[in-house]
Amino acid sequence: MEVDILELSDRSAKFVLSNVRTAFANSIRRAMISDVPTLAIEYANIYDNTSVIYDEQLALRLSLIPLITDIESYVPQARCPTCGGEGCPVCEVSLSLSAEGPGMVFSRDMISSDPKIQPADGNIPIVDLKKGQKLVLEAIAHMGYGKDSVKWQAGIACGYKNMPIVSIENCDACGKCASECPKGIIHIEESGATISEEDLIKCSICRLCERMCEISAIKVSFNESAFVFTMESDGSYSARDLVLNAAKVIKGRAEELVGILDRL
Amino acid sequence: MGYKCTRCKQMVEIDYEYTGIRCPYCGHRILVKERPTTIKRIKAE
Repeated sequence: MEVDILELSDRSAKFVLSNVRTAFANSIRRAMISDVPTLAIEYANIYDNTSVIYDEQLALRLSLIPLITDIESYVPQARCPTCGGEGCPVCEVSLSLSAEGPGMVFSRDMISSDPKIQPADGNIPIVDLKKGQKLVLEAIAHMGYGKDSVKWQAGIACGYKNMPIVSIENCDACGKCASECPKGIIHIEESGATISEEDLIKCSICRLCERMCEISAIKVSFNESAFVFTMESDGSYSARDLVLNAAKVIKGRAEELVGILDRL
Repeated sequence: MGYKCTRCKQMVEIDYEYTGIRCPYCGHRILVKERPTTIKRIKAE
């Protein structure tokens, strides 16, 4: 297996995963979306709410705020070894919010009981309070999985495509393929059509160029064992940590399977 | 069930049979239900 990183930022990544089967690539994608546990608000104890938003809608809005997650410090509540699911500092974290209008209440106004756990983005608007309106609440965040609710989904816009292969031979430089290409990656030179290595990754394998070529000089196919991955994180993990945690989840499951087979 | 008159701010007990929805102090017809002082636990879903 080989990994070539094309782009890596705090929230997103693009990389080429080579020498793996489609099933493995898809398992990484699925693990990023649904199997990496993250923190999200599960309950809100509302002390006062005189805003225009009713309590249930407010709780829903709070739950969709991504929280920076420390996977080493917290465990999913159902698996908590300390409380067995009752709720304790190992499996839940509390965030309090107290605001009075006039003014917009933002996610950065929430005060966490654990300084490591903060909203991933501080500028998410929660509610606009008018003069005299008050909002006082305590929100309880739990670890959970994206397969249970979208609020626990750390990986967003995770996808992959096969690595494109475009071969050009005996081109007469008519330029029809270049004008038809929706990505604009084919360039016409005196020797014929060319695609640079960087642009090849942008190819969506639509094969419009192949259909337009009257002399069949251009052939488009794809590598079945190489994948161009594109993924984004909601901010609960960095893009790097999200891929790493997804790989750990798959490794953990494989080890679990080996353990079961060993006992047979 | 206690309601509050939006004009005179008095707490009002509604007598549906006699007055209907009307403040007995000022006659205003817009009454609001006061939020209870208990803590509400809401599941975020």
